Amino acid sequence: MPDRAAEANALLSPLDASPPASITDQHRQWMLAQMIASRIYSQRVFNLQRQGRAGTNAPVDGSEALLAGVSLALDPTKDWILPQYRELVGLERFGPDVLDRYVLYALGHPDGGHIPEPTRVFPPQISLATQVPHAVGLAWGMQHQPDETGCVLVFLGDGSSSEGDFYEACNFAGVLDAPVIVVVVNNGWAISTPVASQTRAKNFAEKSHAFGIPGVTVDGTDSVAVFEATAEARSRAVAGAGPTLIEAVTYRLGPHTTADDPTRYVPADEIEAARERDGIVTLRDQLVAEGLWSDDIEIAISTAADARMEAAVQAGEARPVDPDGFFDHVYAELTPRMQRQRQAFWADREGRS
Amino acid sequence: MTGPGTQGPGDEFRLPDVGEGLDQAEIVEWLVAEGDTVDRDQPLVEILTDKSQTQLPSPKAGVIKRLGFVEGDMAEVGQVLVQFQGVDFDADPASVPVTAQIQTTGGTEQALERRPKASPAVRRRALDAGIDLASLNGTGPGGRITVDDLDRALTVPADAPQVAASTKIPVAQIPPPRPAANLTLGQMAPGRHQLRGIRRVTAESMTRAIAIPHIHGADEFDASALLSGRKRIKDLHPEGAARLTPLAFFVMAVADGLRRYPMINASIDTALDTALDTAGLDTEGPDTEGPDQKAAGHIDVHEAVNIGIAVATDAGLVVPVIRDADRRSLFDLAEEIHRLTTAARERTISTADMQGGTCTITNYGSLGGRFATPMIRPPEASIVGFGSIRVRPIVVDGAVAARPTLPISIAVDHRLIDGDLMTAFQEHIIGLLTDPVALLAR
Amino acid sequence: MTDIVADAATDTQVMTMLEAINHTLHAEMEHDQRVIVFGQDVAANGGVFRATEGLQTAFGPARVVDTPLAEAVIAGTSVGLAAAGMIPVPEIQFLGFSYQAFHQIAGQIARLRYRTRSRFGAPITIRSPFGGGVRTPELHSDSLEAQFANIPGLKIVMPASASDAKGLLATAIRDPDPVLFLEPLRGYRMIKDPVPLSEHLVPFGRARTVTSSPDDQVVIVAWSFMVELARRAAEELAAEGIRARVLDLRTLVPLDTNAIVEAVEAIGRVVVVQEAPETNGFASEIIATINDEAFYSLEAPVKRVSGYDAPYPVGSLEDNYVPDVHRIMAAARSTVVAA
Repeated sequence: MPDRAAEANALLSPLDASPPASITDQHRQWMLAQMIASRIYSQRVFNLQRQGRAGTNAPVDGSEALLAGVSLALDPTKDWILPQYRELVGLERFGPDVLDRYVLYALGHPDGGHIPEPTRVFPPQISLATQVPHAVGLAWGMQHQPDETGCVLVFLGDGSSSEGDFYEACNFAGVLDAPVIVVVVNNGWAISTPVASQTRAKNFAEKSHAFGIPGVTVDGTDSVAVFEATAEARSRAVAGAGPTLIEAVTYRLGPHTTADDPTRYVPADEIEAARERDGIVTLRDQLVAEGLWSDDIEIAISTAADARMEAAVQAGEARPVDPDGFFDHVYAELTPRMQRQRQAFWADREGRS
Repeated sequence: MTGPGTQGPGDEFRLPDVGEGLDQAEIVEWLVAEGDTVDRDQPLVEILTDKSQTQLPSPKAGVIKRLGFVEGDMAEVGQVLVQFQGVDFDADPASVPVTAQIQTTGGTEQALERRPKASPAVRRRALDAGIDLASLNGTGPGGRITVDDLDRALTVPADAPQVAASTKIPVAQIPPPRPAANLTLGQMAPGRHQLRGIRRVTAESMTRAIAIPHIHGADEFDASALLSGRKRIKDLHPEGAARLTPLAFFVMAVADGLRRYPMINASIDTALDTALDTAGLDTEGPDTEGPDQKAAGHIDVHEAVNIGIAVATDAGLVVPVIRDADRRSLFDLAEEIHRLTTAARERTISTADMQGGTCTITNYGSLGGRFATPMIRPPEASIVGFGSIRVRPIVVDGAVAARPTLPISIAVDHRLIDGDLMTAFQEHIIGLLTDPVALLAR
Repeated sequence: MTDIVADAATDTQVMTMLEAINHTLHAEMEHDQRVIVFGQDVAANGGVFRATEGLQTAFGPARVVDTPLAEAVIAGTSVGLAAAGMIPVPEIQFLGFSYQAFHQIAGQIARLRYRTRSRFGAPITIRSPFGGGVRTPELHSDSLEAQFANIPGLKIVMPASASDAKGLLATAIRDPDPVLFLEPLRGYRMIKDPVPLSEHLVPFGRARTVTSSPDDQVVIVAWSFMVELARRAAEELAAEGIRARVLDLRTLVPLDTNAIVEAVEAIGRVVVVQEAPETNGFASEIIATINDEAFYSLEAPVKRVSGYDAPYPVGSLEDNYVPDVHRIMAAARSTVVAA
C-alpha cells in the first residue's frame, strides 16, 4: 500500500534549492501538489475573514499554476521574490515561514510583515506597483555584492502596470541591466476594470519595448510553460544580460478580495469558460491521464495542506500581541517624544476598567 | 473577540463585518439546523449585505445548539448567529458591541462675564498662591492682570475676605509700602509715565464725578469746645482715648447727620443720560416729547452708614471705609480710624475695607487749607471736607475774638439733594461739633 | 542645549555649506564602501549645484550613478538597495519635486522598518535643496518640511551652518533610519564658517544656541537659512536694546524639546521663524510643544514669522513673501513690549 501521507509530504516539500535544469514528471506532480495546497491555504484564509478572524485578503484562485512554475524556476537561497499580495500562499518553496507569516498578516498581527532571515521574500505590498522600484533597487544592490549571484523576481497585476512606478522602474532596470524579472500577472481584472479598459497595448509584454528590454508572454495556467519562461529570464539575469518582462496570462477565478462581489461585473459565461481552463484542472487531467495522479494522492495532499494550515492558524491566533506594539520599529530607537507618548498610552490604559 | 492574540474561536459565532465597514446583514438562508454536527469551514448560512450575498463558513467543528436568527431577520455585526454546544445561550442582546456614546458635558453656557486676562506666568503664580484672579483689578493693557498687580495682591493677609468688586464701587489700588514720614505726595520724574495704579483709578473716578452736578456749601465755626472736650476725654481715659483725633468726632457728627437726613446717605442713577444725548432734548417741560422713559432712574437710600475717610499716601488718595459709623462709640471710631489709616499707608488694607462707602469725609485740613471744593466719589451723593483748625477771628458774644475755628466744605449731588437739605445737613454737623456734649449725648 | 562637537578636532577650514556637503560626501563614501550616491545629474555633472562634484571620479560609476528623470524610482530603488545591504544616499534635485516621490518616501521608505518589524531597516539619506531668495522657477523653492514631519518613521535634518552640514550629514548617512537632509539653496554659498576636517558628527535632537546672554528678553527659534536671518535680526535688535537669543533647531525630527523648554523657562518670550507658508507649518508644532511643556513660563503669546498662505511666488514677488530681518525684528519687538 503506497504511503500516501509520506508521498504527500514529499510533494509538499520545497525540493532542492537549486532549480532543476528541466522539468520531470516528479516536478509536474510537485507543481500540481503546490497548486492544490496553495488554493487550500487561500480558501482557509478567505474563510477566516468570513468568520471575523482575519482581515481583507485576496484569494489566489487562478494564479496557482504560475506561482508553482515561478517558484520552481528560482533558487530560494540566491533569488528574491517581491510579491504583490496574492502570491504568498504559493511560495512555500522559499521558506515555511512565508505561509506562517502570511497567516499572521491576514490575522492582523504586526509580525505578519516580518518574514525572518534568511527567507528571501518581501511581505505583501498594498501600495500597487511600488514593489517594482524596490525590486529594481534590490537587484541593483545585488550587482554591488560579488556574493550575490541570484536575481530578483517581482509580481504585479495587470492593473498595477498602469502605475507610474512600473514604468519608471522597468525603464531604470533596463539602464542598469539589473538582474530582475518583472512578472505582470494578467488575470483579466483589476477589481472590476477589465484589461480592455486598462491599456490599448495589444498585450502587457509589448510594453517592454518602451524599456528596451525583452518581453515574453506565457500561458499563466501552464506551470511548465511558466517554469521555462522564468528559467530563461533567470539565466539572462544572472549572466548580467539584464531584466525581462514576463506577462503571465491567466484568469481570476475568485473575487478580487474578500470585500468584492464579482458576480456584479464578471459575465457568467466568461467565468465558466475560465474555470474549464483552471490550471489545476488541466494539469490534474494530464497527470491522471498519464497515470501520475489519483484521488488518493489528492486526498492526502489536501489533508496535509489542511493540517498545515490549521497549525498555522492555531499558532497565529495564539500569538500574543503587545497592546502598545505600534511604538516599536518606527525607528531603530524610540525618540524621546515617542517614549513620552508610550508612557501616556499606558497611563491612559490604566485609567480604564 | 477573535483574532491574533486570542485562543481561537469560542462557542459563539458572531456576525463579522465581511465587507470593510458593514454593520448588518440579512439572514437569507440557513444551511444548517439546530442539533446538526458541522465541520470546520462548513457553510452555515447565506447572508446578504449591501455589497454582496455570501456564505459564512463555520469557525470550528461542533454541534449547533442554537441559531440566533430566523431567515429574513436583519442581524447586526457582533450579534450571535450560531451558538455551539458548550456554554449557556446568552439571550442578552447587549452582547452587541455598542460604540460608546460620548457624553457631551451639555454645552454649559458660559456666562457673558469676562474671564480675567493674565499671562500664563501670572496665572501660575496666582494659582500657586491661592489668589483668585477674578478678584483683582488688572492695570495692564485691556485690564490684564500684570505681575505688579499680583505682587500687590500677594501682600494682602491670607485671611482677608476677597469680596468681588461691585460694578458701582471702585476699588482703589494699594500703593507700594513706604514709611509715612517720606511722603512725597506722589511726585514722578520728568517724562511720560504710564497711567496706572491709584492715579489711574482716581483719574477714572473723578472723570465720572464730573457728571455729577455738584453744589457746595461752606462755613466755619468755633472749635474750642471740641478741642477742650477732646482734651478732657483724653485726661479721663488715657488709654481708651489714646488714638482720639478730631477726625473721630467728625465721623460721629457726619454719621449722625446722615442718620438724620437719609436722603444724603443715598445714591441716584438717573438712567437718562444716554437718552438725553441722542434726543438732544430739554428734560423739563410737560409738552416735551421726551425720549422713551422705559429706562427710569432710581434712588437707593442706603441702610448702613459707611463713611469713607480719605487717606493721603505716597501714591495717591486711598479711601478706606468705616462700616456702620453711626453705631460705633467714639473710642471705637478712633481705633478704627487708626487701623484703617495705618493699613492704607502700609499697603496692607483689604479689599473689604475699601468697599461699601455711602459718604466720604476728607480731612484735608490735616495738611492745611481753609475752604475747598471736594469732589463727590461716585456713586455716593455727598462729601464732607474739614479744613485746618487754626486760630482765627470770630465773633463771640458780640465781639471779635481769636478762637480756634474749623472750616467745613460740603458738596452734594444736586440731582438728589437740593440746597436746603444740604444746608440743613451742614448746620446739623456744625451744631454737633460746636457742642461736643450734644454730640456724645445724641 | 549647546552645540556639541563629537570630536576634538583642532584642524578646521572655512567652507561654504556647499563645500562642506561635498567634503562630507567624499569622506563618508571613503568611510563606508556601502554608500552609494545617485540621482539626476549627480555623477558626470557633479550635481546641478556641484554638491556631488568629483565623487564619480573618486569612487567610480558603480557608486555614483546618474539616474533617469524619475523621482519615484530614485526614492523607490533606495528601498531595494537598503534591503541588499547598501547605504543609499539619493538626491532629489529640488525638494518641490519630492511630490513625485512622495508615495515612496511616505508609504514605503518611512515604513520599511515598521512594516517588516526591522527585518529591513532603511538607512537611507535623501538629500534635497529647497528655499527661496535665488529666483528659481516654480516649485524649486518650496519648503515642505512640515508635510514630511507628520510622517512617522522619517527624520528631518536641516543644517544652518557649514560645520553642521558636515556633522549632520555624516550622522545622517550613518543613521539606521531614513533621513531627509534638506539644504538651503540660499545658504549653499552664502553660509560660510569653519568646518572640522577630521571626523565630525553632530547628533540629532540637539539644538544649537547661536547667540545668547544672561538677560535675553526673547528667544528666536529657527532652522535652516532662517537661522542666519534670525542672527542678523538679533544683531540689529541689540542696537535697540533688545537682547535676543537665537536657537537653531538643526533637526525637526527628532526635536530638541528640552532646549526649547529651557529657553522658554529662562526667557518667556518666543518668536518662531519658518520659510514655509503659515498654516500648519512646523512653527505650529513648536508652539504646541511649548504649550504642552512650558505654558506657564510664557509671558506673551508665541509669535510666528512665516511665509504667507500662498504658493511660493514668482521672482518679482519673492522678496515680499519670504520672512526677512525686518519682520523677525518686528515680531521680537512685539513680544517684548507685550506686558
